[in-house]
Amino acid sequence: MTKRHTRLFFLGGTILFALIFAGMTIDTHRHFDRLTNADKLTDEVIAGNHVWHRNNCINCHTLFGEGAYYAPDLTKIAQQRGAAYLAAFLRDPSQFYSEKVHRRLMPNPNLSETEIANVITFLEWVSNIDNQGWPPRPIVVTSGQFTQVSNTPEPAQAVSDNPVDLGNALFFSAELACQACHSTRADVTLAGPSLAGIKARAEEILKDPSYTGSAKDVEGFIRESIVEPSVYLNPGPNFSTGPGGVSLMPADYKTRLEAEQIDHLVAYLMTLR
Amino acid sequence: MRYRTQSIAYWYFAFAVCLFGLQMVFGLLSAVKYLGPDPLIDIIPFDRSKAVHTNLLIVWVLTGFMGASYYVVPEESRAEIYSPKLAYFQLGLWATGGVTAVVGYLFGWTTGHKLLEQPYPVKLTIVIVMLMFLYNILMTIRKAGRWTTTEGVLIAGLGLAALLYLPALISFDNYTISIFYRWWTIHLWVEGVWEMVQAGLLAYLLIRLSGADREVMEKWLYVIVGLVFIAGIIGTAHHYYWVGVPAYWLPIGGLFSALEPLALFVMVAYAYVAMRRSGLKHPNSLALHWTIGSAIFTAFGAGLLGLAHTWPAVNKWTHGTLITPMHGHSAFFGAYVMINLAIITFALPTLTDRREGEDQKLGYWAFWLMSAGMFGMTLAFAAAGVGQVYLERIMGLGYLETQLKLQVHMIMLTATGVLFSIGVGLFVYDFFRARPRFITQGDGAPRGDEEAAPDDGAAAEPA
Repeated sequence: MTKRHTRLFFLGGTILFALIFAGMTIDTHRHFDRLTNADKLTDEVIAGNHVWHRNNCINCHTLFGEGAYYAPDLTKIAQQRGAAYLAAFLRDPSQFYSEKVHRRLMPNPNLSETEIANVITFLEWVSNIDNQGWPPRPIVVTSGQFTQVSNTPEPAQAVSDNPVDLGNALFFSAELACQACHSTRADVTLAGPSLAGIKARAEEILKDPSYTGSAKDVEGFIRESIVEPSVYLNPGPNFSTGPGGVSLMPADYKTRLEAEQIDHLVAYLMTLR
Repeated sequence: MRYRTQSIAYWYFAFAVCLFGLQMVFGLLSAVKYLGPDPLIDIIPFDRSKAVHTNLLIVWVLTGFMGASYYVVPEESRAEIYSPKLAYFQLGLWATGGVTAVVGYLFGWTTGHKLLEQPYPVKLTIVIVMLMFLYNILMTIRKAGRWTTTEGVLIAGLGLAALLYLPALISFDNYTISIFYRWWTIHLWVEGVWEMVQAGLLAYLLIRLSGADREVMEKWLYVIVGLVFIAGIIGTAHHYYWVGVPAYWLPIGGLFSALEPLALFVMVAYAYVAMRRSGLKHPNSLALHWTIGSAIFTAFGAGLLGLAHTWPAVNKWTHGTLITPMHGHSAFFGAYVMINLAIITFALPTLTDRREGEDQKLGYWAFWLMSAGMFGMTLAFAAAGVGQVYLERIMGLGYLETQLKLQVHMIMLTATGVLFSIGVGLFVYDFFRARPRFITQGDGAPRGDEEAAPDDGAAAEPA
């Protein structure tokens, strides 16, 4: 083997694999539109993309696990939190987290209302990109407890066909990740109220004359809270925009969930003590 | 120093070394922020200190590479640099652009693309500087009418680096497509053409330091860079797994990125065999430490620790955790910091009043403090990363709660980071302790490259 041979190896190998790479790139361009829902790439999404870049978000957070590791991954945050919560958070992060407790806080990005709306639209678009099912299990900002104790490599598979077990699996699933906001322990409060003992609390609320919803029983109340979160507003500074306002919970579960899935969730939540 | 214009390298090295020192300030600042609370949150928040930290690295490493080229090319081509004036003007422009970018970041002037944060005017400046550099070097080689494989690989690496920076000038509305092409710059730089630069410098240093046979060294140099590209080009895929590309990138990317360490292990064998066969009689034993150290630390940081999380089934869980900076820090240090410090340490006695092989005590302290410090930092990141994967990704604990449990590792990171920074401080001090003195050696000086023959390839233009 002489230098001539090894030079040929270098040039030949490099050119060959560069060509294969170029071919894969061209083919990938045929798929981008479908995988990224390019038809939903509106002016608001693009404006939100600029807000994301201008504010250097990537140097603390990650999107698709890519960025810096100083703040949570935001790939699915729009699905987990919903627009109302994210808007309230972006107006003033210090209302939601404290440096004393979490030792880390997001500085106020000082965004205008339009910028806030746009960047949330951008994050919604991101959360729907087909990225090979990553993350495999939900990545949540806070949980207060271990939430994934199943031994299966994939997230939360139901242990039986019982509605309670199906609801349990759905609650912790990657697609819904209810635990991202609701703990199932009485002593842990996350972005939303704890759901421990919801049955007993629902009974109290239904008896309260100030309740204006249409639920007649506990199951009905839980169902209403999932699909119409603003009908009954939980007291607490960060659960809603205030009395008479709207809930910060995503309001799209009516369309995101099948009727049967809601039944399963209700069955599961009824068992929480 | 055999050619007068090699002295240009000194000023490039001086600028690079200053930025290296400054990089530590922002690195430590960023590390301490992991411990919180952060009293500087409204003045220099993490995103800014981190961007400055990484950008300083890129700027100073490239400055070092360009300085190294101005040092190596005259010797290899046996000619003076075509235009020293252009080289100094280029350095001035480069420094202005670099300093503007770094100061700009502190005030929030950024494009917010990871590692390519440079605002558009700065990006254009970088392109112009690279073109000036390549023009000067290529004219030097052309005028000399002689080039060697070693310098060819070095300059081709820098030429391709300039070419691969061009996608960074285009902006895309689709975030996925914009990440796709961002990696053409970043990945194909650090796991492609920058490796060419490293391998070229490694060959140059090994030939000079050990007196190894040039023909043999250059033959294997082609094998190394060949392996780098065969695995590394499609290896770009390990950045594509989860960003919205078709599924076939996963198995193909997994296979090729698993092959990426091969070139790096060959590089270690390359350095080791050269060292064994040709002895270690060169008086500048410190430069030899940095040279061999670079090959070894690269194989460890870029090779092994990259391999540790590159397979899709593993990466699915480790992606986006502190496992990445574990690999990132050790890989960059081994491949690009150590090779720069090797060429600087090698060249310094010929550019200053320091005599070869003498007064290396401080330099050795710098070498061992940096090596040990970076090893410790790597372990701290690794422990934190494994903990994070387990608690957050497997057990479902929240991000913020997990971070609180990782504090002990971040204390370890800061402590070992301080050790590393002391090493850097010593290196900077040691560099400026010697006063620049540019005396060209007469013809009687040992050349060590008498056997060097011009490359037989007439397809002369590298790049």
